Amino acid sequence: MNRKRIAITGRGIFCGAGKDIATFSHNLLEGRSAIGPMDLFDVSPFPVRIAAQVRDYDPLSHFDRKVAARLSRADQFGVIAAGEALQESGVTKYYSPYDIGVSLGAGAAGMFQAEQWLSETLLGKKARPTLLRGILPDRTSTAIAAQYGLGGYQGTITTACSSSSTAIGWGADLVASGRLKAIVCGGSDAISLLTYAGFNSLRVVDPEPCAPFSLSRKGLSLGEGAAFLVLEEEEEAKRRGAKIYGYILGYAATGEAYHMTAPEPSGAEAARVMNAALEYAGIGTHEVGWVNAHGTATPLNDVVETKAMKQVFGERVTDVPLVSTKALTGHCLGSAGAIEAVATVVALNAGIIPQTLNFRGADPECYLDYCHDGKRASSVPIALSNSFAFGGNITTLVVSR
Amino acid sequence: MKAVRTEIAITGIAAISSAGVGLDPLKETLRSGISALRPVPVDLAGEEGHVWGRAEGFKASDFMSPLKARKFDRCSLFAVVAAGMALKDAGLDPAAFGSSRVGIALGCGFGGIANSEDFLRGYLGKGTDGLVPMLFPNTVPNAPASNASIEHGLKGPNVTFVQRFCSAEAAFQMACRFLEEDRADIMLTGGVDELQPFMIEAFRKVGQLRRYAAGFSEGAGILVVEKGEVARKRGVRIRAMAGDIRSVGRLLPGREAEGIDRIFCPESKPQLVSLSGVAGEVKSILERLPNVPRLETGRLLGRSLAMGGLSLVSLLVSLSPGFSAVHYAASPEGPYYGIDFTA
Repeated sequence: MNRKRIAITGRGIFCGAGKDIATFSHNLLEGRSAIGPMDLFDVSPFPVRIAAQVRDYDPLSHFDRKVAARLSRADQFGVIAAGEALQESGVTKYYSPYDIGVSLGAGAAGMFQAEQWLSETLLGKKARPTLLRGILPDRTSTAIAAQYGLGGYQGTITTACSSSSTAIGWGADLVASGRLKAIVCGGSDAISLLTYAGFNSLRVVDPEPCAPFSLSRKGLSLGEGAAFLVLEEEEEAKRRGAKIYGYILGYAATGEAYHMTAPEPSGAEAARVMNAALEYAGIGTHEVGWVNAHGTATPLNDVVETKAMKQVFGERVTDVPLVSTKALTGHCLGSAGAIEAVATVVALNAGIIPQTLNFRGADPECYLDYCHDGKRASSVPIALSNSFAFGGNITTLVVSR
Repeated sequence: MKAVRTEIAITGIAAISSAGVGLDPLKETLRSGISALRPVPVDLAGEEGHVWGRAEGFKASDFMSPLKARKFDRCSLFAVVAAGMALKDAGLDPAAFGSSRVGIALGCGFGGIANSEDFLRGYLGKGTDGLVPMLFPNTVPNAPASNASIEHGLKGPNVTFVQRFCSAEAAFQMACRFLEEDRADIMLTGGVDELQPFMIEAFRKVGQLRRYAAGFSEGAGILVVEKGEVARKRGVRIRAMAGDIRSVGRLLPGREAEGIDRIFCPESKPQLVSLSGVAGEVKSILERLPNVPRLETGRLLGRSLAMGGLSLVSLLVSLSPGFSAVHYAASPEGPYYGIDFTA
C-alpha cells in the first residue's frame, strides 16, 4: 500500500524525567533516572516505596485555580505536554481547528482523585463530587481539545500499557487516510493508589530502581506523566515550512489472545506484532538500528521480549540493541508508549542509542546487547518502540528521524 | 471525513440488554415500544422517579461454569458471551478462518470501575491485608475485549476505546479502518458497559442522575464486520453494508454549524435515522434530520457510554432490505458521529 509519510512536527513531554523536551532530552542523554522516594500518598504500608513521580508540581504554575480544580492530575499533565507539542509545531495557526484532532492513550486517568472521594466517603465524610470528574480516561482528550480550541476527531484508547503507542499509530493513520490534516497524539497517566497497590499486590515491583534485562531484577518501578507528538503529512508540513523531527513510518497493534497478565512465553506473538509493524511501514529488519523495549524489568517480560527479538532479527539480533528507558522514566502505564516514542525521537535526532540503566549483572536468559554499559552513537535512522499490556495487547511503532 | 472505500459488510450481531439476552427480546422491545427500564431502588437513588436498565435476564451460568465466570468482571462476561453470540450469528469460527486475521475493537464505558472499587475498598478497609490481587488485572477497560479475544481466539488487532457516549462508534470507525488497511479480514466491534449500584450513588453525588446519567443501562451490542469480498467468499448472510463514517471532536463556539456540516452528508437520503448518546438532545442535529422514522434506543433500553453498540444492533434489526439509514451519535462536549448503512 502506498502510504503518505507522516511527519512529526511537534513534541511535548511532562514526566518525572523532565517537564519539557529540553530537560527530558538532557536527562535521557545523560542517563539521569527520575526514580526515587515516593510521597504522592502514603506508601509506607507497601514493601516498595519508590517511583518516578512528577515532583515539585504546582498546578497553579500552569492553570488558574478554577481550571486546575476541574482537571485531574492526569488531565493536567496531558494538557501541559500537548500544549508544548502544539506550540512547537505551530499547526493551530495553519489548519482549520476542525482538521486538527486529538488521539489519546490513557490509563488510570483521574483515579488518584477518585480514590480521595472513595476514601472520604468510606470514612463517612462529605467528599467533594468534583473529585470524580476525571475518573473517565476520555476526559483528558476533551480537556486538551477545549484548552487549545481543537474541533477535529477525538478518541481515547485504553489498552492499559500499550494505550498511547496505539494512540500514536492510530493518529498517524487518521492523517494518512486524509481524515485529518494534523493530530496531537500521545498519552497521559498519573500514579494512583490503585496502580501502586495493584502492582505491589502482584509482586512485580522492585524495591530498588528497576533494572531491565539484569540478573536478579525483581520488577518494575512505576512512573507518571504525559507525552505527545504532533503529526501531519510530510508534504503539507514542508509546504508550511515546519521543522520535521522524524516520522511515524507504521505500527501494528494486536492481541495475543493468551492470558490477561502473562505474556505468551515463546515470544512468537510479540515477534508477530513487530514483524507486522515493519511490514506496514515497508521497512526491512536490516534497516532497524535499535529497539526501545517495553522492558518493564519483570523477570518474565524481559525474557519474552528477548526471545521475540531473536525471532524478528535472527542472526543479526546481537547487532540491534534492545534498550529500556523505563529505568529512567519509570513505567508510566497509559502514557508509557508515548513517553518512549518521544524518547526514541529524541535519541534518533541526537544520533545515540540510550543506555539501559541500573545494570546488576548479566542474566543468561537476556543475552542481547542492552546498552547496559552506556549510551552509544548510532547513525541508523530507524528504531522500533514496543509496548506490551495487560490483556495481551501489544503495539509496535516504527519511528525514524 | 472521507468515505470508507473498502466494502464493509456486517455479517453478525448480538445483544445483551435490559430487554433480555439475544436479538429476540431486543426486537420485541423495539416493536412494542415498551421501555425495558425499571425503577431504581429509592435507597440507591435517594428519591423516587429514576429508572435504570440492568441486564437482569443475563446469567453467566447459562453460558459457562461458575468457576470460569468467577475470573471475569461483569463487563467481561457481557463481552465474552456477546462476542460468542455474534460469531455464531456470522457463522464464523476464528480458529478455522485464521485467528490472526480476526480482531476486536470495542467501546467500553465503565469497564473495570467495579473491580477498581472492590480492590480499593479492600485496601482502604483492611490495608495491605485487604488487597485481592486477582481483582487487579480486570481493573483495566480493555479487560472485556481482551477476555473476549482470549476466549474466542481473536489474534488480530485488539483495541478498546472510551469516548463517553461515542465509545462504540469510535471503535466501529477503527474496526472499519483496519479492514480497509488490510490489518484484518474480520473485526468484532461495538460496545459493552456495566451498571453497578455504587455508580448510581456516584452519579447522584455529581448531579448527573437527572441529566446525562438518567436512564443509565448496561449490556453489550456487538457487530461482526468484514470485508465485503470475504463475506461473499464465505457465503454468509450480509445484514447490511457500512458506508461513510463522519466525525468531529467537538463543536467550536461560534462555529457549531461548520462542525455539524461535517457529520451530515448532503447526498444521504436515509429511510431511517438512529439517534444514540445525546444526539436526540442536540438541537442542531435534530433541525437537520430528514422527516423519516427515528430510532432512539435510549428511551427503550437505556443508554450508557458504550451503548452505541446496542443502538447500532437495534438499527440493523430494524432496517428493511434495500433501505438505508444514518446513525447519529453524540456526547456532551463531543464527539459527534454520522455513520451510513444500507441493508
